[in-house]
Formats: sequence, structure tokens, C-alpha cells
Amino acid sequence: MDGHDVIAGSKDVTLLEILDRVLDKGVVVSGDVVISVADVDLVYVGLRALISSVETMERLRGAPFYGPMQEPT
Amino acid sequence: MEMEKELIYLYCVADKAPDLKKVREWFEKPKVIRHEGLYAVVGRVPRGDFDEENLKKNLGDMDWVKERVISHEQVLEAAMADSCVVPFKFATLFNSEGNLKRMLARNAPLLKEALRKLEGHEEWGVKIYCGLDALRATLAQDKEILDKEKEIGSSSPGKAFILRKKQEERLNQMLNAKINECGHASFDRLRELCAGARINRLLPEEVTEKKEEMILNAAFLISRNAVQAFMEAVDALKARHGDNGLSFDCTGPWPPYNFCDFAGRMEIRSAGTCGTSDTAGAERTADHGRA
Repeated sequence: MDGHDVIAGSKDVTLLEILDRVLDKGVVVSGDVVISVADVDLVYVGLRALISSVETMERLRGAPFYGPMQEPT
Repeated sequence: MEMEKELIYLYCVADKAPDLKKVREWFEKPKVIRHEGLYAVVGRVPRGDFDEENLKKNLGDMDWVKERVISHEQVLEAAMADSCVVPFKFATLFNSEGNLKRMLARNAPLLKEALRKLEGHEEWGVKIYCGLDALRATLAQDKEILDKEKEIGSSSPGKAFILRKKQEERLNQMLNAKINECGHASFDRLRELCAGARINRLLPEEVTEKKEEMILNAAFLISRNAVQAFMEAVDALKARHGDNGLSFDCTGPWPPYNFCDFAGRMEIRSAGTCGTSDTAGAERTADHGRA
């Protein structure tokens, strides 16, 4: 198995999980940084439409809704 | 000095040079900048995409957000496949490599300490959802509730109305108590196995698009050799709480987004207008987010 693609393989399905982390967590540097995405709610506004379209896509493709990320191995 | 057309986007800082050949291209292949014994994984992005004016517009465009957030995650995953990483927040940008290097130099002790602590650990996420109707149905089988139900059936309409109100209230209280109990008990059980644990805010149904309500959104930092035990504990909780209408979403391993809490501690002397205070964060000890 290609370890790099573990999440990528089920990326669409767990977009919510990714957004919940990438936009909201991680180290914040102040100073030179041009912008900081503090207003996460702004992004969530459009999330609903996005997530449902992803779900539909997955179903059409016949892929399992929950991907390999569910399994530890 | 003329402004560069591109900005330096910092994905993460690693303890050794990661192999990034497999990362899908976005704007430019990410590359590694070595400085002060640290390895910064960076990309170049168009300044125009991230300036204040356009960013607001872009953040409203879910296709734009989706593409970049996924890129961010993919780069981090590639990096963490063969090194330990401190992940940075989406859109951490520098005007130049020089500025990035100054930030690294200034915060090297903090970053190195974090990398030492994160070494050999994985972040996993657990979200618990509860089907309230299913749980309510289970609780309605409670003896006290059933007895009251009989009493309601044999009461006059007026009294039955009042008893019915009380019955609903009682059931709601039981429901809340049960949710709290299951959520807390599950979190407490899992954190026993972990080096770190934190509870995040619950996401609303319009975001999760699930019929069930999210009752716990937690992140755990787990020693690699404890991951198996952690999974078994999650399975045991699933089995134990399935009847209560609880379902568990367990995902990972993630870059340790939730265990690099340096908010306000990482600073760089700014030559520009950002005006950071000069109380260097580097001297302070890292709060490693251990809950």
C-alpha cells in the first residue's frame, strides 16, 4: 500500500475532517505572515453544499462512503 | 524593495528532510528549506490569491478552498511519512525566504522541543454521534418511565396532561445525562491510553450533514506502540454504546494539528507593518497541549 495516499484515497469523504483541522488548527505565527484565516466560519458557510456534492459523487462512483482511513492498518 | 509576485507558503517544519516526490502538484512542487537544523516544507503561491482583498472572495469559493486544503493535507502527509512534523495553519505565508528563515531561527528551540515530544506519536480523531431518537426509545424502556406511563394511562385527562409533560421532561433529562455520561466516559477511557487529548468544539448538523448529533469531537496524541490498544478501546466502546444509538468515527493518523498549540508564542521580528511585539516566544517553554 502506498502510505502517502492513505488519506488521499478517501480524501473526499473526510473533507470535513480535513477542514476541521487545516483551517482551525496547526501552529499560528504572527509577524511577517500576510494573512491569517481567523474567520473559519466564513468557510463553513459554503461547506454544506460542498459536502453533499462530495457524498453524491462518492455514491455515484460506488465507492464506500467510509474510506480506508477508518482502519488503523 | 519590489514585492515578489509569489509568497512562501509554510506547510510544516520537520526534523529531517522528507521525501516529497509523490506530492501532487498544486502551484509548484513543495520544497524543503534547511535552516538552523530544521527542515521547513514550503511552496510558492501567487500573492494575488492570498492578499486580503482576494482571500475573502476565495474563501467563499468552496472549490478553491477544497483544492488548497487538500493540497495542504497531502503535503503534510507526504512529509510525515518519513519524518516528524510540526504542522502550520492553512495559509501561513511569508514575503520571502529570508523572513521564513528568521522565523525558524527565532523559534528553533520551541520547534525542536515540539518535534522531540511529537516523535513516535500519531494524532487520531474520534467523533461520537448520537441518534437521539434511538437513544430516547431505549431510555423509554426504563422501569421508572414505564411505570409512569401506566399511571398516565389510568389518569383523568387533566392529570394525564400534566403527567405527560413531566414524563417528557424526565426523559429529556435522562437523555442529556446519558449523552454526557457516554461522551465523558468514552473520552476518559481513550485518554488513558494517550500522551495527549483534547476536546474540540462540536460541529453543527449543517456542517456534518448527519442525522445524528455530534456529542464529542476529540483529538488524541498516541504513542505509535499504543495505537493498536487505542483502536481496540474504540471498538470496545462501539460495542458497548451501540445500543445507546452512539456511533464512532475514528480517523487518522493525522499530522499533529491539535498538539502544536503555540498560539501567540511564535513570533518574528517584523520589518513591515505587522508590528509584532518583541517578546520573543522562543524563550518560553512549549505548552504541548497535554490536556
